[in-house]
Amino acid sequence: MKMPKALSPIIKIAKYTLTDEVRQRSFVVMFVMCVVFVFLIRGCYQGNYMVNGEALDAGTIVGAVSKMTFHFIAVVVMLIAALLSMRVFKRDRDEGMQSSILSKPITRRQYVVGKVLGLWVLSTFFMFILHAIIFLTVSVNLNVVMPGYLAASLLCSFNLLFVVVAVLLLSLLMPDIVAFLCVLGIGVISFVADGIFAISHSPMAQAMIQQPGSPSDWTGWRVVYYLWPKLSGTQHFASSFIGGSEGLHGFGSIYPLINILIYGLILGVLLFWRFRNEDII
Amino acid sequence: MIELNAVTKRYGSLAAVDNVSFSVKAGEYFALLGPNGAGKTTIVKMLLDFTQPTAGSLSVNGLPSKHAASRTAVGYLAENYHIPPYLSGWQYLQRCAELLDMSRSEATDQCRRIVELIGMQGREHTKANTYSKGMIQRFGLGAALIGNPKLLILDEPTSGLDPIGIREIRQLLESLKKQGMTIFLNSHLLSEVEKICDNAAIINCGRLLVKDTISALVKDGDTLEDVFVRFVKG
Repeated sequence: MKMPKALSPIIKIAKYTLTDEVRQRSFVVMFVMCVVFVFLIRGCYQGNYMVNGEALDAGTIVGAVSKMTFHFIAVVVMLIAALLSMRVFKRDRDEGMQSSILSKPITRRQYVVGKVLGLWVLSTFFMFILHAIIFLTVSVNLNVVMPGYLAASLLCSFNLLFVVVAVLLLSLLMPDIVAFLCVLGIGVISFVADGIFAISHSPMAQAMIQQPGSPSDWTGWRVVYYLWPKLSGTQHFASSFIGGSEGLHGFGSIYPLINILIYGLILGVLLFWRFRNEDII
Repeated sequence: MIELNAVTKRYGSLAAVDNVSFSVKAGEYFALLGPNGAGKTTIVKMLLDFTQPTAGSLSVNGLPSKHAASRTAVGYLAENYHIPPYLSGWQYLQRCAELLDMSRSEATDQCRRIVELIGMQGREHTKANTYSKGMIQRFGLGAALIGNPKLLILDEPTSGLDPIGIREIRQLLESLKKQGMTIFLNSHLLSEVEKICDNAAIINCGRLLVKDTISALVKDGDTLEDVFVRFVKG
């Protein structure tokens, strides 16, 4: 079957981006380290855990450890996606590939979409493999199948899309490392804010907030909290697909995903616009 | 084939190209001459939509240069050409061919023909980080020739080549011209330009000084170099 004409260069650019990244020694080292680390986590499933003198059942252990590793892998791969994305445009420019591609009847939009697609597919695949190792470890060692685990991994790929687009956009506006640090900052704030938000809903925090003398108007902070890119929220939403979680609770639980998709869209439009005005060297 | 209408490109207060107009017809072998910083490469970049003009318009193949379709059947060789160091010349040519929507077998056939044409048989499968500047330039020219373009835009094509290489490239370009290809050349090698080009334009400080046939420019025992110096020095 013949591919649509506009799609063909996008797929090829994505393929070249992917293979060029995989060729980098640093990528291979990162990948091997992550796989080894995930294999080491295997031991966590084999121990006996006691809380208040009582042994925990296998289901609780599987649920807790799997969720922890799920979040850990998702965060690490987000960092790796940012690292992979930050030098892509610069490397293409320095190695002459950018001018070589754009001197052909290929639009800048196709070029950018190809780059984003290549990086997104690569980082999603990276994360999926690590999550799949955990999934298989649990299935084989404990005979527990978590059908939602891999689905949750795929849902987390929207976070990776956000990270890739954000880093690519910022790398056009500032030095690569600063672009990486900015997106890292956005991620850290997202996780910290979600943590504070969760704590603030505890009965003790609620009591403190209602005490006389405590700041009464939290509206401004709430608006910032809800509008901030919900990387942590999306991850928690995805992890709700893993067995043993509380499940979904209406719009509130799906909001982080919508937030990240909207941010991805806005940043994507800005990326096209910025790259359109970029001088090709 | 190529048309520039009152094209201006400014970087802040500096006019890299200032109200330049000229055209290049199909089948012409045209040279754009000028000292360093005259605005030659900026014109090439605007033709390929690598940078946008501040004012005026450019068209290539009858289409505004900002349309990607204007670059159909256009081959381009950049000054200081680069090839990703982890690719071999063959892999690089194959990529260029695939980007032009060729099938793998078509691409392989083209690449084989091009490698022969640029005289790089036996070195095409070694990595680009082992190539000399001249070899990279040859592969760059090969990449520009993929897809049998009707228009070749060459920015200093002989840069980094030894005298034998320069002669081979000149012979290759002459044979391409005989096949009816339009060639737009940016070069400092005035003796080469004098030997092979039909028309030339001289620009300095972004302004077009003259555009004429080589025979009209070079008269009475002068060389193109004499003419160039006379125009540029005023």
